[in-house]
Order: sequence, then C-alpha cells, then structure tokens
Amino acid sequence: MENKKPLSPHIQVYQWHISSLVSITHRITGIINIILITIICLWISSLLFGEKNYEIINNFLSSLMGKFLILGLTWSFSFQALSEIRHLIMDLGYCFELRATKITGLLVIFGSIFLTIIFYLIGKVFI
Amino acid sequence: MVQIGLPDNSKIKKGKYFKDKTGSTNLRKVNVYRWDPSTEENPRIDTYEVDMNNCPSKVLDILNKIKNEIDPTLAYRRSCAHGVCGSCAMNMDGKNGLACTTPHKEIDGDINIYPLPHLKVKKDLIGDLDGLYKQYQSIEPWLKSNSKSETKEIFQSKEDRAKLDGAYECIMCACCSTSCPSYWWNGDKYLGPAVLLQAYRWIIDSRDEERNSRLKKVADELKLYRCHTILNCTSACPKGLNPAKAIAEIKKMLATANI
Repeated sequence: MENKKPLSPHIQVYQWHISSLVSITHRITGIINIILITIICLWISSLLFGEKNYEIINNFLSSLMGKFLILGLTWSFSFQALSEIRHLIMDLGYCFELRATKITGLLVIFGSIFLTIIFYLIGKVFI
Repeated sequence: MVQIGLPDNSKIKKGKYFKDKTGSTNLRKVNVYRWDPSTEENPRIDTYEVDMNNCPSKVLDILNKIKNEIDPTLAYRRSCAHGVCGSCAMNMDGKNGLACTTPHKEIDGDINIYPLPHLKVKKDLIGDLDGLYKQYQSIEPWLKSNSKSETKEIFQSKEDRAKLDGAYECIMCACCSTSCPSYWWNGDKYLGPAVLLQAYRWIIDSRDEERNSRLKKVADELKLYRCHTILNCTSACPKGLNPAKAIAEIKKMLATANI
C-alpha cells in the first residue's frame, strides 16, 4: 500500500532561477575542471617521453577542437573562481537577500564570459 | 540518492478535458495534477476550462471554483485562505507558494498546478509531509529552560527579541523544503530549510538554555551541510523569510563557537 503512492514531480516542473542555475553550473564546472586538469597533467608528464609528444599536443591544441577545449576550460575556470568567491561572501553571511543573490549570480555569469574574452585577447596579443 | 527521473508508477499521463459549460468568453485553461489512490492508475493531468469572469483573484479561488462547479472529486488542502495556516501550499507555474496568496494574474498562459515537489502523493494535490514533521519534532521546537522558578516571567531584551524576527513568522507550509534540490535527493537525512530555520529560531532565543546542545545536534554533514545555497527556499517562501540566511548563520556559529 505504502509503495503505491506516486512521487510528485520535482525537477521536471520546478522553475529555474539565477541562483539555482549558478549552483548547478558551479558543480558541473567543478567536475569539468578536475577532469581537464588531470588530462593536462598527463599531457605535461608525457613530455618527459620525448619531443614527439610535444608536437602531438601542440597540433591538437592548435586545431579547432583544441581551441574550443581551451576556451571552454578558460570559461569553466573563470566561472568556478567567481562562483567560489560568491560562496565565500555567502559563508560570511552576506548577500542573502533575493535581489542581492540575483545580482551576484548575474555577475558570476557575465563575469565569467567577460574573463574568458579577456584571457582570449591576452593570449592572442601577447603569446 | 539522486534520481532525476520519476519512478514508473509516478509517470504522468494525459487526463480528462473538462470543456467550459458556462459559455463564457473569458476562459483560462488550468492543468491540475490528479491521482486517485483507489485505482491502480498512474497520476494524470486534468485540464479544466475555467470562466474567469466570475472568479476572484487568487489561484485558490480557481481551485474552489473547479471543486464547486466543475469537478467535486478534486482534493487539496485549504483552510484559512489568508496566508496564515499554510495548508494550501502547492506548486503553481513551477514555483512553490500558497494558493491563497498567489494571484493568478501573475501567471502567464495556462495555469499548471502540481502538489509540492518530491513528496509521496496521498491524493491529487495532497502530499505526505509526515517526514518533515518528524524532522521538526527532532529539533525539539520548544523552550528549554532549567530555571527553577516556573511561575515567573523570563525577561528578554528588545534587542534579543528582535533576533527572532524573520524566524518566528514561519508557518511550516513546507514550500521552502520541498523546493530544495538537496532536500529532494537527501530528504531522509538533510533537515531542509524549514526545519533548520526553526532550529535557528530556538538556537538564538536568549531565553533558551540549551543553545550548545542544540548546535551540537544539527552539526552534522548531512543534517545541516547539505545546504549548498541554491536559494530555492528563499525565493519560494510565501512569508518572505530567508531560511538560507538562517542556515548560513548556524554554519557561522558552528565555525566560530567553541563546542
């Protein structure tokens, strides 16, 4: 009898808003960062095994896919960092009013895009 | 455990369509979650055409109109109709709130009404809140004073009394707890925003003498720290309270207190 009761719909019907979006993206970018940093570390250690490995990596990173990956990583790092700062402010007990959470959430979203563009331009001009 | 999809017996089917019989020109479609415990069937969404010319301003008025004039089998909780009792908490247009204080004018398009999210449904819009009430009991929501004199008033300064503002107004409607994804996935262990706000209310009460043991009791990886400041709770609260801030304050006390 007890198990017969259905579960009411949750994530299927619940409306997204800025702070829930930032929260889930924070988690996703966290996972992406861990995976990508691991891959980068493996790449760097592969340099120990010769020059050829360097070329393979260089070719890959110069390809369209490689550039997309780098830009994506830049964004996910920027997002993670800004969102973490937002969390730190909240841990101090500030910015919990609905308006404030909306503003800080938007700052994180647009700030991460802005930082990605800045890093891209720095890379393009100076490197 | 995180389960994104609904179990097989909870998948929603299309239900009946109740066409308008009044001949009104001002109609709105209202989609309502229905489940009848006396049948073996899955939940369904029934659609009602409601005459808005003769309907007061709140979502609860629509439900009353459906129950009185169109389909008397619809079941939902309601009592005061003034945002005081917290009975008519439900999910309207993807957001939790009290049906009696939510104007239907603020909802665009069809009105979708579901029970509070991630609860076992008893019937139609009535969710099972037993688990939440048990958790509420577990934080012992009453004044614990060891003072010998029980005939004398316990004094509280105006400043100390002001600390309870924003916590004592909670009506335990469960809008916040059932809006919280952390509570969806870990509702059996995580206390959830409603109960933690009440825990906070007793922790900061200057008359209470069990502050440290109360703090110790909630200081738990699962009971308290499952709050990831998603803030669905604060945006859902129909009384404009801020459970997320209260939880942050408890975390802060635990980080600074020496217990």
